[in-house]
Amino acid sequence: MRSRRDFLRRSFCGFGNLALLAMLQDEAARAQTHDPLAPRPPHLPNAKAKSVIFLFMAGGPSHLETFDPKPLLNRLDGQPRPAEFGEARYQQITGDARLLGSTRRFARHGQSGTVVSDLFPHLATCIDDIAVLRSCHGDMVVHSAAQYELFGGRTVPGFPSMGSWIVYGLGSESRSLPAYIVLPDPQGALEAGQPMYMHGFLPAVYQPTMLRGGPQPVRNLNLPPGVTLAQRRETMRLIHNLNAASLPAGDEELSARIRSYELAFRMQTEAPRMFDLSGETKQTQDMYGVGAEPTDDYGRRCLLARRLVENGVRFITVVAGGGPANMQWDAHRDVDENHGRMAAKVDRPIAALLRDLKQRGLLDSTLVVWGGEFGRSPEAQDGRGRDHHNLGFSMWLAGGGVKGGQTIGATDAIGLRAVEEPIHFRDLHTTILHQLGLDQDRLSYLHLGRQERLTLVHGQVIRGIV
Amino acid sequence: MQGQKLLVLCASFCGAATGYADHWSFAPRTQPTAPKFAEGVPRDWVRSSVDAFVLARLHEKGLKPAPSADRRTLIRRLSFDLTGLPPTPKEIDAFVQDPAADAYERLVERLLASPHYGERWAQHWLDVVRYAESEGFEYDNVMPGMWRYRDYVIRSFNDDKPFDRFLIEQLAGDERKPGDADLQVAAGFHRLGPVRRNAGNQNVAFSRNEVLTEMTDAVGMVFLGLTVGCARCHDHRFDDFTHEDYYRLQAFLAGAQEHNVILADAKTKAKWEAVTAPLQKEIQDLKRRISTAEGADKERWQFELKAAQSKLPPPLSALCTVREVEAERSAIHVLRRGMPEKKGQRVDPEFPSALQKGNLPAIGKNPRTALAHWLAHPEHPLTARVMVNRIWHYHFGRGLVATPNDFGVNGSGVSHPELLDHLANEFVRHGMRLKPMHRMIVLSNTYRQAGAPQHAEVAMARAKDPENLLLWHFPRRRLSAEELRDAMLTVAGQLNLKAGGPSVVIPLEKDLVGLLYDPAQWKVTADVREHDRRSIYLIAKRNLRPPFGQVFDQPDLQTSCSRRESSTHALQALELTNGELANRLAKAFLKRLEQQPGTDPARIVDDAFLLTTGRLPSAKERERSIEFLREQPAREFALAMFNLNAFLYVD
Repeated sequence: MRSRRDFLRRSFCGFGNLALLAMLQDEAARAQTHDPLAPRPPHLPNAKAKSVIFLFMAGGPSHLETFDPKPLLNRLDGQPRPAEFGEARYQQITGDARLLGSTRRFARHGQSGTVVSDLFPHLATCIDDIAVLRSCHGDMVVHSAAQYELFGGRTVPGFPSMGSWIVYGLGSESRSLPAYIVLPDPQGALEAGQPMYMHGFLPAVYQPTMLRGGPQPVRNLNLPPGVTLAQRRETMRLIHNLNAASLPAGDEELSARIRSYELAFRMQTEAPRMFDLSGETKQTQDMYGVGAEPTDDYGRRCLLARRLVENGVRFITVVAGGGPANMQWDAHRDVDENHGRMAAKVDRPIAALLRDLKQRGLLDSTLVVWGGEFGRSPEAQDGRGRDHHNLGFSMWLAGGGVKGGQTIGATDAIGLRAVEEPIHFRDLHTTILHQLGLDQDRLSYLHLGRQERLTLVHGQVIRGIV
Repeated sequence: MQGQKLLVLCASFCGAATGYADHWSFAPRTQPTAPKFAEGVPRDWVRSSVDAFVLARLHEKGLKPAPSADRRTLIRRLSFDLTGLPPTPKEIDAFVQDPAADAYERLVERLLASPHYGERWAQHWLDVVRYAESEGFEYDNVMPGMWRYRDYVIRSFNDDKPFDRFLIEQLAGDERKPGDADLQVAAGFHRLGPVRRNAGNQNVAFSRNEVLTEMTDAVGMVFLGLTVGCARCHDHRFDDFTHEDYYRLQAFLAGAQEHNVILADAKTKAKWEAVTAPLQKEIQDLKRRISTAEGADKERWQFELKAAQSKLPPPLSALCTVREVEAERSAIHVLRRGMPEKKGQRVDPEFPSALQKGNLPAIGKNPRTALAHWLAHPEHPLTARVMVNRIWHYHFGRGLVATPNDFGVNGSGVSHPELLDHLANEFVRHGMRLKPMHRMIVLSNTYRQAGAPQHAEVAMARAKDPENLLLWHFPRRRLSAEELRDAMLTVAGQLNLKAGGPSVVIPLEKDLVGLLYDPAQWKVTADVREHDRRSIYLIAKRNLRPPFGQVFDQPDLQTSCSRRESSTHALQALELTNGELANRLAKAFLKRLEQQPGTDPARIVDDAFLLTTGRLPSAKERERSIEFLREQPAREFALAMFNLNAFLYVD
């Protein structure tokens, strides 16, 4: 070890050091133009996706009730887990728990014959655009840490989320909208809280904008009470004139600040239009289930996601689930009741989103990611509930150059463990970056002496995804 | 541009490294003497040893220092730098008019003696130690009395406590004088990292490892200035810090266990418990009912829950610290890839192999105390260098080592190696007190340079050293989030200067509070005058950061922040034009302006500029402002003043 370190040190002292530093700081330099949001070319040629919509199913939907049927599990219902499947550690249930069969009906759909349960009849009609990943796994079995890992690649808070990394890498395509937007579930917050969505140690310009319901979707986008737009235009002009009057020639930083006021003003005059769904046809609104229960809320947010993508927003997270466990996919007590209710809210809107993106020619450039921070246990909890489970579960990808109509990977015969082509969160992250033309090593930022990346350990692009 | 910066850094780093047997920062300090200058060098400029070292590097590159900034600029620079607050027009006037030769020196003394000095410099330290009052993760529970640590740091800075003592108190205060509350508060240092707790099954070994990892990495980053965290999983790729070294360092901390001390007396405690217990039970019951209820029942219970939560009395007076429990000392093993289930050999406390030079303290029964004494030793190669570099960093916006938490090979290298050692030597000579170092730095001509020099060679200088690494002018900086908020409050005449005590919870919009998993945790401080206290007294809650700070690059409290970003983006402009705080304070500011005698708009404009920027407006600025006031609401003029670059930046 010693000699290797010595060698590295010595070589880094000469040209090696320069080359290394140059490589490491390349990304920071790329982002350090005086407009940190200027669009930047991807690292890799042939990037497929320009935007990402992450349909985050908070709380952890069950793979066993959705995309991964297990006939053996149904046969073993009520029995202890056979020893040959190995050990698992859950948050709540212990060794004496009994396996729980699924009551869902599964069928093959589309030309591809991909298997989907009866929880998602609408989604099933789009299945040929979807690549189901049956072998996902993560490191943590409790919400907060698993949510951090899913969003930021670390089981601890404080690291930038995918959305922040991607905007840092690619900049913004929009001149009047934030580049990274989160649409939280109005029902309530999640265990990992605000830090899960944040930019960590990246500059504040890469932070998410949290969109909220009601007449003021973005904080500070509305004029203060009693101020008219005409008045405000004059104020902005005064700010501009005073700052320009004292601007030293060639001062890029202060010029950038002057320009940021122009962008801010454009945002407040143009963005509200984009958040207004009333311009959408009745047909489109119906397709998303807007105006009907239980789909109205998620339908609105999915439709908004499409409008944002259309207007160049880079990364959008649309959260399904929030507040107490049972208001998320966190089905500890009764998986049928919980998932029936949760799926009914999202099934139609998600199918509409995929169809809408496709008919507008946006699906090829928009990567849609679906999934939660983990799946659910093959064992029962509290009767018909399922505990958290991180060793094997399903997610799916669509659009953004992903080959649809396929199922990748597999869990074992009771859905306990990913056994074929396991896909860790880092592989998911690597794949998302790859579809956007970003390289996990080059997308890095020097923080506390380490060149940090989205992935802690190198991920692999999911095989067969393109 | 970037390439040149790298060349400068690499040249200096490699130059330094070849002179030492090992990596420069691990080697003993050298005793550099201030350079002497030949004819033709502007040696009259050298006021102090700091200047001599800076001038030597400038001269090497054919650069020359900028002339001194004017007094208005200097007092604004010094006031923000040393107290985080703007100077008042009266203070500016007094300084500008002061005929005494030592006017500047007296100003420095006044500011260093101000209680606001501690509030300003404590914030830097709180950034580095990732100070927060809640544990983060799912529960984000408030740690009892953690604000006392914040007050301890402020007090330590104001008292100019020697840094070695400050260090020892934080690493092992609980062992120094058992039962001493102040020292226990200091040792709360070990509690500052985020803590993951979960309901249900506990993986005790895994959780303990997470806690020890936080503690170990903090010691590495804060005091050693090394990213030892890399060595948790493998030998450090760049530094002489092995995988074993990491776990031996961790073994020093293995006996530290969480310890919360209730300070209230038994009677108060009993009374508190009698009120709280039934309420807690009621809250649990209601929560259980709500989780399965629907419709009217659910609404009613939610209402009752809120009522019950609001009846909870404030927590008992307490403090948050660690104690050494020998019987519970964790067995520390080298963990392959940092994973607790992959145990390698067991290790005992041992100082890092590359730093075992000179006399080492005996480790004995109190390993944390031994670790503290080892670090605090005046000859420790890293401690003094790391700390003086932090001081330099906060004065100039960039350290002599630009990565203050990384003095390893992967760090930035050092722009002025001799100056760094010289400062560290002086630091030790002055008993590791900070104030003598501040004096040395701010009294230098290097510090007094103009921010934007106008001399003929500026274009040449910019081409040679575009990043100003060699300090050919004073580096302008944007106000930090805290300075900006405090300055707005000051200018508007609203700042409440009350010092210390429990943290203030300011009101935030409902949807933001809704981002907390338990929104009831955000209990707004009832007394509204408290909401306008200095930013350092606002609650540091990990899972909910007020957006004003967030858009202005306040750190997220999750990991150590040794260097703040200074970004420029539209959300800042929106915050300062449409934000609630900016608009409320603009109104107050206007009222203040109008209370002064005279309704002449020119007088209002002049006062507004003086208060916000410390100077009078130029003719053009005055003219445009008066023109605006003729047609537009004066409140909008007051708001515009918060948006001036001359307000947001310090020259």
